[in-house]
Amino acid sequence: MKTRTTFLSLIFLSITSLHVEAKPLSYVGGTMAMQENDETGHTLALDYTFTPTQAFGLYVKQEENGKDILMLTPQINTLIKRWNLPDGQGNIFNMSGAGLARYRDNNQPCLWTAFLADYESRRWFLSYEPRFVWDGDIEKSVWQRARIGIAPYLANYNELNTWIMFQVDHHPAKHDHFVATPLIRFFYKTYLFEVGYSSNQHIMVNWQIQF
Amino acid sequence: MQKYLLTFIIIFSLTAAVSADTIKATVNGMVCGFCATGIEKTFRAQPEVKSVNVDLENKLVTIETKQGRTLDDTRIKKLLGNAGYSVVAFARQK
Repeated sequence: MKTRTTFLSLIFLSITSLHVEAKPLSYVGGTMAMQENDETGHTLALDYTFTPTQAFGLYVKQEENGKDILMLTPQINTLIKRWNLPDGQGNIFNMSGAGLARYRDNNQPCLWTAFLADYESRRWFLSYEPRFVWDGDIEKSVWQRARIGIAPYLANYNELNTWIMFQVDHHPAKHDHFVATPLIRFFYKTYLFEVGYSSNQHIMVNWQIQF
Repeated sequence: MQKYLLTFIIIFSLTAAVSADTIKATVNGMVCGFCATGIEKTFRAQPEVKSVNVDLENKLVTIETKQGRTLDDTRIKKLLGNAGYSVVAFARQK
């Protein structure tokens, strides 16, 4: 039974994991599916945008590089502030969730909240995200992530866009406190795919689809 | 002469009433495929819209309405606002 549950969890994670460094909101009525597989673990999210400033969805994360905690929470993403500029867009978002965390048969309530500040033009990408996680008596952690990217050429949205990016993670509660990940992002219409390799020798594979 | 003038006015009015609009909106904040697709899906869902095109390089959203239908500026601003973007200028052609 336990093997079957683990197998189903892995299938679920493999088809749904999400937390790519792109916007956690789409247009009203739009749905986003995202999956992130990196040195922190496997994350999956599915979000539906129901107002211009809010999306609601499901967040699942299987952590690695420390305690292997499984988190399952509904999440709400809120656009706090947006700057629409002639050549770019800046945003501040909050993403929060409350649900269950599981670690070695110990189930605990969990809460997490994160802020994402980003600026994106057709040439440049910058983001910073601090995240706060409370997994009952399993773990309390704070981690932060920053990313910079450049597009070596400009393409329209119905052409293949390529980004060269560099990400730094700082998570004091994990074995590797600072992790750097160079990566390449490919973007075509509403399909985003990223692949990278971290300084602690993990392959990063992320994807995001909006529909 | 009056008859000709009246006929011209009637024909012109009818032509104008059934013609389509091409609206070009200059929009701030559009940078990626997610932006463009969100805008296209939003406008394609409107019954008045025949086609929509997003040009990221020139920051333009071009909307063509169906014959005899139109979309006013306020509605376009609201739709683009719901998609997350700001309109800075409009240009219309019949």
